[in-house]
Amino acid sequence: MTPFVLLDGVHKQWSPTVRVGPLSLGIPRGEIVALLGPSGSGKTTVLRLLAGFEAPDAGRLVIDGEDVTALPPARRRCGMVFQHYALFPHLDVGENVAFGLKGSAEPGAAGQKVAEVLALVGLAGFEGRKVQELSGGQQQRVALARALAPEPRVLLLDEPLSNLDPTLRERTRRELRALIKRVGITTLFVTHEQEEAFDLGDRVAVLNDGRLEQVGAADELYERPASLFVATFVGRANVVRGGGATARALGAHDGEVLVVRPERLRFADAGLPGTVRERRYTGAAAFYQVETERGERLEVLAGPEAARVGDRVYLEPAGVLTFPEERA
Amino acid sequence: MSARLARPAFTLLLAWLVLYPVAIVVADSVRGDAVATFVSRPGEWGALWASLWISLASVALAAAIGVPLAFLFEWLEFPGRKALGSLIALPAVLPPFVGVLAFLFLYGESGFVARAVQAVFGLRGPPWRLQGAGAILLVHAYSMYVYFYLLTRAGLAKLDASMLEAAHALGAGRWETLRRVTLPLLRPSLAGAALLVFMTALGSFSAPYVFGGGFRVMTTQIVATKLNGELPLAMVETVALALVAALGLALLRRTEGDELLAALGKGAAPPRRPIRRAPIRALAATAGWLFTLLLLLPHLTLALVSLVPYSSWTTEALPPVLSFVNYQRLFGEPERLRPLVNSLWMAAASTLGAVALALAAGALARGQRAPRAPRALRALRAPSPPDRWRGPIETLIALPWALPGTVFAIALTTTFSVHAPLALRWVLVGTVFLLPLAYLVRNLPITGRAVLAGYRQLDPALAEAAASLGAGRWTTFRRVTLPLLRPALAAGGSLAFVAALGDFLTSIVLYTYDNRPISIEIMSSLRLNELGVAAAFGVILMLVSALVLGFGARR
Repeated sequence: MTPFVLLDGVHKQWSPTVRVGPLSLGIPRGEIVALLGPSGSGKTTVLRLLAGFEAPDAGRLVIDGEDVTALPPARRRCGMVFQHYALFPHLDVGENVAFGLKGSAEPGAAGQKVAEVLALVGLAGFEGRKVQELSGGQQQRVALARALAPEPRVLLLDEPLSNLDPTLRERTRRELRALIKRVGITTLFVTHEQEEAFDLGDRVAVLNDGRLEQVGAADELYERPASLFVATFVGRANVVRGGGATARALGAHDGEVLVVRPERLRFADAGLPGTVRERRYTGAAAFYQVETERGERLEVLAGPEAARVGDRVYLEPAGVLTFPEERA
Repeated sequence: MSARLARPAFTLLLAWLVLYPVAIVVADSVRGDAVATFVSRPGEWGALWASLWISLASVALAAAIGVPLAFLFEWLEFPGRKALGSLIALPAVLPPFVGVLAFLFLYGESGFVARAVQAVFGLRGPPWRLQGAGAILLVHAYSMYVYFYLLTRAGLAKLDASMLEAAHALGAGRWETLRRVTLPLLRPSLAGAALLVFMTALGSFSAPYVFGGGFRVMTTQIVATKLNGELPLAMVETVALALVAALGLALLRRTEGDELLAALGKGAAPPRRPIRRAPIRALAATAGWLFTLLLLLPHLTLALVSLVPYSSWTTEALPPVLSFVNYQRLFGEPERLRPLVNSLWMAAASTLGAVALALAAGALARGQRAPRAPRALRALRAPSPPDRWRGPIETLIALPWALPGTVFAIALTTTFSVHAPLALRWVLVGTVFLLPLAYLVRNLPITGRAVLAGYRQLDPALAEAAASLGAGRWTTFRRVTLPLLRPALAAGGSLAFVAALGDFLTSIVLYTYDNRPISIEIMSSLRLNELGVAAAFGVILMLVSALVLGFGARR
């Protein structure tokens, strides 16, 4: 099946050392893809390339079979929600939402559609409000309504939740996913938070230093990371460089880097010896910092009563990921 | 036109308007023996020296009045502080020529004060003559302290109270804190104000022209030389004045320091201290009101004189007859109304042009958003197209401000007195178009500053949001950019309009009989001793200016 949105060998070079791509990514119709990566990894640039605010040096951008690489942003039909929402301060909520609708310059013409979309985001009756008077969450929903109103082919979200406070963020995340699925629109969104990417995205594309490291479902990234970067960026991980006694005790060969998730290390009667230095209680479980005899620190997730600070323990791995050293 | 061509083309247009005429004057001035004449005449050096020291003295006087006032109004609380605080900024918004006129009527040898003194002491002649360097400095101090007052107040308002508290906690007393913390932090504001006053004083023409008498500064010298028909010499003088301006600008820019100092503090400004002791509080309030009255007196005088019919007031201390006959004549006689109409259309046209050019400059200099490369790498990156043109465009827009108005007047006369289409020169001298063109060039920095600042405050994401919603470049401009720039446009446009409306120094060089503006008409009324008519024109100029500025300041 040909993907609905296709980035085909897209490349953008800012300077000899700063670049994005070459990068290829296909998104089937109706899928939500999260672009996850540390700041400066090029996530937003990918989004802006697709929206048309940046022009690629090479490669093709295809939406619904149409090559949009040379199209100006205004004709790509990509709805975009900006990080700081970019609501027009001189227009009220209704006028903001109506902006992209045909004949929106005349008042009232787009009224029904505006009401519909505002109801969709749970802001029915907010047409006449000033955007400055809205809370952060409401502004975010107006931005979403404005992007959805012209019925775009693709929805692009640039860190849509980063401006909300943490308690609101989690709820909004679920509501946002439900809404996008209800509309059924193909969506690409940018985030630097793993939890957000896992929660919102059908698939997650991990970006590092301008390159796609891996694209896959959340569990795939976590269980079978394609690179050391993905292994350490997605989820918590103990990294042990090859060659030492610890690495050998955990089963690694020379020239390998070893990654063990904290929950994959168990306290056992025999194995890698060490001393518990810290215990961080989280309720259902606790994180333990164990110092090996060579001074390395490993993080172990176990039951809250599994050990005490100062205890001498033995660690046994129950699943180790290995990567070749040179890719580290 | 594609964006690729638009930037170079626009830069060339600006260069033709702003740089080209000055370059022609510079080139013409070194030809022939005018330079030798200039060097050999002691009068020329005298005028140049006078310009320089008058400007420096104006800076010192304006600072001596403006800075203490700023501290008084920003740091202390007393009855009437708010109202007085804005009233004393008034001289800045009135056309300089009107101020000069008002001074003449108030403090001149036949002005109210002189007459009063004469009457009280029974003197036979006027007690003084308002003439020479002292008179010029008086007018300069009166009209230019406002720059120090406003900028120092703004600087004080940005000051972080915790820095002063830190100084006190470290054992510094009040004076030491002022000397070692407050004043250094204010340096950018003070240097900025000094620069403004220096440039304004250097280019000042009305006061030296009216009050100078035999005392010549460079601006009056240039106009006199030009009226004598010695155009080559006038060009040399123009270049000399421009050089002094450039020198002053360069020197003061160096001391301006970096804005980092002011940007460091994020806390709130220190709270105003109420004056506790009642007698001192009353004294401060009274002094404030008296000072304000003193400031408004010239303008009140102007209003009064405008009500005095022709030749009805001779030796009396106060005018015996008051009537609106001057205004009736002004509006009733088409020939008298003409200058008003001229000034209005020329100010409107030049403002429209300057606003349009500023908008184009903003749109082209800003261009697209710079890519989000890591900050450390940004400096290494080759400039993207908008960046490369931003510098030249912004410099050209600001240039007319750095050169005295007389320089531009002479430069434009020289450039547009020759028919050479291939050299982009046409004969505009003697037509009604040259003066509005000069207003436009002079107003570019005013509208440009406002509009460019407006553009900088604009979130680039807004234009992108519009584009992502299907709006093309023109629609985005019309429906998003323009409405958001409206306050900047109103502010810049109104200031430019008022500056053009009250202009005297460019007008006196470039006017023709057909487009003679108000200021020229006032001058000829004065010559005919029609003081009332001159004052009535002044009052109208003042009212229209206040009205337009009020409109521009509306949010």
